[in-house]
Amino acid sequence: MYESAKKIYPREIGGRFDKLSKLATIALLGLFYFLPWLLWDERQAILFDLPARKFYLLGLTLWPQDFPYLALLLIIAALSLFFFTALAGRLWCGFACPQTVWTEAFIWMEQLTEGTRSQRMKLDKAPWSLAKFRKKASKQFLWITFSMWTGFTFIGYFTPVRELGADILALNIGGWTLFWGLFYGFATYGNAGYMREQVCKYMCPYARFQSAMFDKDTLIISYDEKRGEPRGGRKRSVDHKAAGLGDCIDCQLCVQVCPTGIDIREGLQYECIACAACIDACDSIMDKMNYPRGLVRYTTEHSLQSKTTHVVRPRMLVYATLLLILVGGLVTAMASRTPVILDVIRDRNSLYRELPDDLVENIYTLKIINQSNDARSFTLSVSGLEGLLLDGIDGEVHVDGGGVLSLPVRIRARRDDASGVNEILFGIEATDDASVVMEEDSRFIGPTP
Amino acid sequence: MINEEYRGAQQWSRNKQAAFTVIWISFLSAAIATMVFFAIFDPIELGAIFDAELEITHDAGYAAGFFFFWVLCAICSSVTAFLVRTAPKRDAKHRQQ
Repeated sequence: MYESAKKIYPREIGGRFDKLSKLATIALLGLFYFLPWLLWDERQAILFDLPARKFYLLGLTLWPQDFPYLALLLIIAALSLFFFTALAGRLWCGFACPQTVWTEAFIWMEQLTEGTRSQRMKLDKAPWSLAKFRKKASKQFLWITFSMWTGFTFIGYFTPVRELGADILALNIGGWTLFWGLFYGFATYGNAGYMREQVCKYMCPYARFQSAMFDKDTLIISYDEKRGEPRGGRKRSVDHKAAGLGDCIDCQLCVQVCPTGIDIREGLQYECIACAACIDACDSIMDKMNYPRGLVRYTTEHSLQSKTTHVVRPRMLVYATLLLILVGGLVTAMASRTPVILDVIRDRNSLYRELPDDLVENIYTLKIINQSNDARSFTLSVSGLEGLLLDGIDGEVHVDGGGVLSLPVRIRARRDDASGVNEILFGIEATDDASVVMEEDSRFIGPTP
Repeated sequence: MINEEYRGAQQWSRNKQAAFTVIWISFLSAAIATMVFFAIFDPIELGAIFDAELEITHDAGYAAGFFFFWVLCAICSSVTAFLVRTAPKRDAKHRQQ
């Protein structure tokens, strides 16, 4: 009932957009493979240290408590995607998506070992021979090596990459590390080597809903039907306008270069990842025919209908305003982030203890997290009730840089001042910087009269 | 004709589509769930709650959590896909009445 997937052999084409896409591939992959090796203050600049539950981002150390920042960052990323989609269509898909970028790299390795499009098609049809085996084996060797390196780099974002490198060379690598490295490597191999455009067509949610961000002013890649039709072959010498033909010579080059195997001349299709290979292809033919370029080009629906294209429009303003508010919020929140966290946990075992001299005692555990990289001393205070006494601490408490201190404290109050449930407030202040303060409320419970 | 080479081709069967979509979308959901969950809970502290004798490493805790979420999301996702695909068609129902 359903035909099995036929392999697409995208034809290689040079040109403006091909150069741009190669540049994007090199820059993005370069960043991915290089970043783990970057140092900052003699430690890895970007490291998601899962065992220690700390994220190092350049000079910044993020803790699990900072998760809201990450969530906000993800929302900003999603909104930027909407913004750029409404403005310029599927730029993300064509130039920046990891699926596209790694597929590019894998196709490049395929071309290196198996040759051009027609050579690859012939090779696949040919019976097995030593030459075919040699070509296929060298392709697999390149693919697998590259995938393993990718998996290793991925792990390098979570495990110090220099130690990891030494461990791998010494064949001394932990079970989970090996597992995730192989997992990511295999995913790269499968996605970029075999699944390719099928991922965009069948598995990508963005490919399905991006059209909701589109309007008639969005930049799209389109075939100029008015100019191209009626299409048909002709000799270069023929005056095609006199012969009643449009500019499209029906050479099929735009179809051959398409990595998703569509015909751009059939209109805007959700399979189109806007890689612009068809523009390069068509421009090269237009040059040969001495026709003006741009039969297939970046344009907008309004422009195709000879109307004005508006860059600034309500949709763009809404996206831009939301983006500005969120980015502003994130920056403000990050700037005003206190590098200390105070948690107060009331002792669960007893409500209160009665002491001689009409005193009542409650027990708490204070958790002080010093998020800065340097050791710090703090002074503690408690308020909210008359005559509260802090017991168990002598003056200042000392917390290592990036350290967590669990501190049991006893709070006492006069029985008459503390009947029932009372709100109290704990506070800490860094001794070296009075702006580093943090307060946390809790309850003090006394006997009900 | 090049076009003929492609026409009607390169289509995954519906089962394959469903399987890969379920795997991929539940993977993404599980990744998000794992991030949120372990930003709040430390796997070692969790392990201590369930069984004081249990000794797990962070790595194993995160991996177990991730796979738990992946399986859970995959079940959710595939049941939804199944129900949507096997639902009675509106037209057919109208004709019966």
